[in-house]
Amino acid sequence: MTGRYFGESVLRLEDAKLLTGRARFVDDVSLPGMLHVAFLRSDEAHARLNGIDVSAARARTGVVAVYTADDLGDYWQPGPLLVPPPPIPGLVFNTATQGPLARDKVRCAGEPLAMVVAESRYVAEDALEDIVVDLEPLPAVTDLEQALMDGAPLVHDQFGTNLAAWVHQTKGDYQAARAKAHRVITRRFAYDRGIAAALENRGIVAHWDSGAQELAMWDTTQAPIPIRNGMAEFLGLRESQVRVVAPFIGGGFGPKIMMFYPEEVLVPWAAMRLGRPVKWIEDRRENFFATTQERGQIHHAELAVAKDGTILGVKDRFLHDTGAYDPYGLTVPINSQCTLLGPYVVPAYDSEFTAVFTNKPIVTPVRGAGRQHGVFVMERLLDFAARELGMDRVEIRRRNYIQPDQFPYDHEILFQDFRPLVYDSGDYPAALDKAVELIGYRKFIKDEQPRLRREGKHPGIGIVSYIEGTGIGPYEGARVTVEPSGTVRLSTGVGTQGQGHFTTFAQIVAEVLGVEVGSVEVSTGDTREFHWGTGTFASRGAVVAGSACHAAAMKVREKILALAAPLVGVAESDLVVAGGAVHSRGDPAKAISLGDLARKANPLRGAVAPGTEPGLEATAYFGPDRGNAASGVHAVIVEVDQETAAVEIKRYVVVHDCGTVINPLVVEAQVQGGVAHGIGNAFYEQLHFDRNGQLLNASFMDYLLPTALDVPTVEMDHVVSPSPLNPLGTKGVGEAGAIPTGAAFAQAIDDALAHTGIEITEIPLSPGRLFELIDHATGKST
Amino acid sequence: MIVEGTYALPGSPEAIWDLLMDPEVLAKAMPGTRRLDRVAPNRYEGTMGVGIGPITAAEFDLVIEVTDIQRPLSYTMQIDSKGRFGFSRGTARVELTPDGAGSSMRYRADLQVGGKIAGLGQRLLDSVSKMLLRQGLEALHKELTARLT
Amino acid sequence: MKPPPFRYFRPRSLEEALAQLEREEAKPLAGGQSLIPAMNFRLASPGALVDLNEVQELAGISDANGTVRIGAMTRHAAVERDARIANRVPLLRETMPHIAHPQIRSRGTIGGSLAHADPAAELPAVILALDASLVIRSTGGERRVEAGDFFTGLFATALEPGELVTAVEIPAAPARTGWAFEEFARRHGDYALVGVAVRVTLDPKGRCESCRIVLLSVGDGPVMARSAMRSLEGVDLAPDAIREAADRAGSADIDPPADIHASAVYRRQLARVLTRRALTRAAARASETRQ
Repeated sequence: MTGRYFGESVLRLEDAKLLTGRARFVDDVSLPGMLHVAFLRSDEAHARLNGIDVSAARARTGVVAVYTADDLGDYWQPGPLLVPPPPIPGLVFNTATQGPLARDKVRCAGEPLAMVVAESRYVAEDALEDIVVDLEPLPAVTDLEQALMDGAPLVHDQFGTNLAAWVHQTKGDYQAARAKAHRVITRRFAYDRGIAAALENRGIVAHWDSGAQELAMWDTTQAPIPIRNGMAEFLGLRESQVRVVAPFIGGGFGPKIMMFYPEEVLVPWAAMRLGRPVKWIEDRRENFFATTQERGQIHHAELAVAKDGTILGVKDRFLHDTGAYDPYGLTVPINSQCTLLGPYVVPAYDSEFTAVFTNKPIVTPVRGAGRQHGVFVMERLLDFAARELGMDRVEIRRRNYIQPDQFPYDHEILFQDFRPLVYDSGDYPAALDKAVELIGYRKFIKDEQPRLRREGKHPGIGIVSYIEGTGIGPYEGARVTVEPSGTVRLSTGVGTQGQGHFTTFAQIVAEVLGVEVGSVEVSTGDTREFHWGTGTFASRGAVVAGSACHAAAMKVREKILALAAPLVGVAESDLVVAGGAVHSRGDPAKAISLGDLARKANPLRGAVAPGTEPGLEATAYFGPDRGNAASGVHAVIVEVDQETAAVEIKRYVVVHDCGTVINPLVVEAQVQGGVAHGIGNAFYEQLHFDRNGQLLNASFMDYLLPTALDVPTVEMDHVVSPSPLNPLGTKGVGEAGAIPTGAAFAQAIDDALAHTGIEITEIPLSPGRLFELIDHATGKST
Repeated sequence: MIVEGTYALPGSPEAIWDLLMDPEVLAKAMPGTRRLDRVAPNRYEGTMGVGIGPITAAEFDLVIEVTDIQRPLSYTMQIDSKGRFGFSRGTARVELTPDGAGSSMRYRADLQVGGKIAGLGQRLLDSVSKMLLRQGLEALHKELTARLT
Repeated sequence: MKPPPFRYFRPRSLEEALAQLEREEAKPLAGGQSLIPAMNFRLASPGALVDLNEVQELAGISDANGTVRIGAMTRHAAVERDARIANRVPLLRETMPHIAHPQIRSRGTIGGSLAHADPAAELPAVILALDASLVIRSTGGERRVEAGDFFTGLFATALEPGELVTAVEIPAAPARTGWAFEEFARRHGDYALVGVAVRVTLDPKGRCESCRIVLLSVGDGPVMARSAMRSLEGVDLAPDAIREAADRAGSADIDPPADIHASAVYRRQLARVLTRRALTRAAARASETRQ
């Protein structure tokens, strides 16, 4: 589908509002009589909670209530298991979810111990200092390997182990593949990550209207509809009594799709009990402890290759840090397991992982959601294989690609959506060729690199390939309504965290209905407007919600034609829908505007024929059969200062394939932002936990995010392999920029410092750490 | 965090042992101690306030247990301090050897730091602990000298 | 991250400010770029603040008789843009862009930075390299303290309770003087992992007559690399001599701390490399003045 809007770089419709401070965020919500919440959080990572005395806090002027676990009575219950484990044979899963306030035991630093509700946040924080807590410290579990040894302290005593899950997926016969391999490359890889660090922290405002018996909640959630349904159930209300609004949200990136956080569950409960609106806004320091993160994995991986570089098989054993609880199931490690296969033909695969409980904050997906770990392992194994075989890095990838005529391609293992991992479409060789061209790979290796080396510099180039599974189900929905004014109203359940939904969805509908894109008003994230759907995650907004918008618009278009034909006096096939009206193809003067048509479709007198509906409105849903496979190639040129281990990024290239492109500007922005995020994860961001589970860098002073000065402008190109799985042919792109960045840098730095023999097998890499690795590689003592 | 080293003290191990166990002397060795009482033969409880630069001295509750006593040559202290800014706890091993007319004190402390100080103070923890240690040892030396003469 | 309650005073004159500081046991508030975050984190809870931002007489740059005088409340941004500073104290001009970010420099002040004495701050090292003096006032009168005597320890200065830094006085540079500032930070605007301010003055024959090498972020405050400085006195600033001095600066002259951003070993390496680069540039600039 192409035309006026679809596929065009339409300037974002929501930006004027966002940039002039007229967009409403949760903290903008201010209601009469509103109270403010502060939480007392545990300093200890692992401790018995022997007692808590809030009497002095309750007595403080300005404090309205203080709650501990005991005060919640029956309302206290462990949160739900949000994503059950997939039906993989032999899978082991120990479910442990968090209660809203700690009871008996604290399992990570930052767990909430008490909730203070006061006239202002200032007073609430003053009252936190009045609370006396008796916490008896216990030895903490932080190292993944040590956590699984006999005698290790237990995060959850009832399991008798810190094993949260065990999963084994295989295809083909790896042992046979290994036996006939020319080379077996074996390495240990460590990948550490960090927080999502969205610009806006979390926040909730809840208001119980006892007159109307209705609860309204403003929440920075990526899933307003499931939150509404869950909160209704927990609070003993009907779903129709609860309205959840996710207004403009300053970045989601994953942690805001974690649901039923303690604060989400407690703020509305307090609002109902106290009969006054209650607000909680997370501050940045809390965000480091209270909002979910994504973290470490340790892989022992093996690649069996033939003499010509063909992959015969891969074996991987890895440990995954799930944090203190596992409410989000196995989404992250399954993504790692599946994404490792990448765009390659891998005849034999033996992958086993153990998820481990630790005394650190809960791990749930953060942009990339475990895919980067898989990509890092596979790309590095291929790089080391290429080195050993004396092959070019680009060549070894090309040789192993799934070819364009091999789709749909079944990898024979299960993906996070519980469906088999089947790739729908792609053209990997084309993307590689474009990337090689754009970065000037051949010229760099042949001319520039040797020249710069003669000048005493250390330049390097990295080029890596990846798959991103996107657009999974179960479904989303949309309702399109043409109003008498001629404005088209589009409502959908997904929210917006900055992806440009107000524009891309409008483009889809405007294209189908032949109206100006600016006349499509989009409503998102308000359960009163639309209450069927799941949320924004796994790069599925454009694919799933976009397809639903398309389907709903198509249904409205059918109604337009059916209604207009007799009015205009021609057959439906002779009608043209364009310019906000319907006209006869043969005689354009015979026309009726969509607004007038909508009015006629809702008569005050006369009849609406049986079997038809009033108005020009339709609701439609879309649920894809399975997720699709976006893909791409990243290439980077760096220069390393061997004296200081400083790494300078000279150029960064991305060739991506997200199927049909709805709005190139939005896609480019997602890629640029993703690369910035990836650079953060590769170089700057690392949560330092000590062996007692204490976070040592709980502020932006010490947890470093790349700024605009540290991120290059990404040079982009794209390949289009439409997806057969949805009518738009589109694939997701939200996470693409962030996924292979670590692998690209590792390869480029190895290349820059090839004379030292260095092998990067860990991410992230601060200059200090790189300095140590260079020292090790060159054999100097440290 | 490991802090270790040696320091010369006036007086032989015999001469200074009881002084080292005296809460008034021990208090001098920890800068900012406001109160320290011996509540049991080998247990001390008190409060201290430590502030650096702009950071307001926050009050910490302090508990010290002395164990593994081998008079007059070595002992271990279990230290537990807690306050608004977080906590610090661990063990410190102290060994005395005669050195001429005085003693050479060898110390090794393994402390874990938690809460706000751990999360916000990483840039300074090393420097601050070295500074506090230096101040404490100098004050201890001065106090012992005064009492021995 | 809301601060606890505090009393707040906003004097219009220096006399009023000094009287309030003494009477109220208050902390002075200058640019607030270090104090306010510490208060929001509830790490600092002063009972009272005396806001100096309306005491006009404390801000301003002047030069008379060769000495450049910078008022304590002069914003970093003003120092950065000032033509007199660019001409007369180029070492300071070169350093300014390394101080945090433009937004912070629009509020932060030189007096505030020096009184705060953060070991990772650039200005203490630079004024020590410039052999500057600080003018200090209290209700009891005025005194001057040389930079070398002002920084007494970790976040500690020679300021007594009730005293304020009112100005920094920088003497004119001797002829044949070269200078350079180098810093290594993870990102633009970050706290330096290591930084160095260098000044060298050549004798009529072109050999080093005197030099100052002052490092930051390697100790409790600005640290002079004394053995490195001594090794250069009287010698030609040739690459070998510079390299040897830089090695001393990174080894014997400092005892750097370790933290999550850098090990002590890595800091020593950075000190070596940055000192070498700064000395090389300073020596080149000093030579240029001879021609």
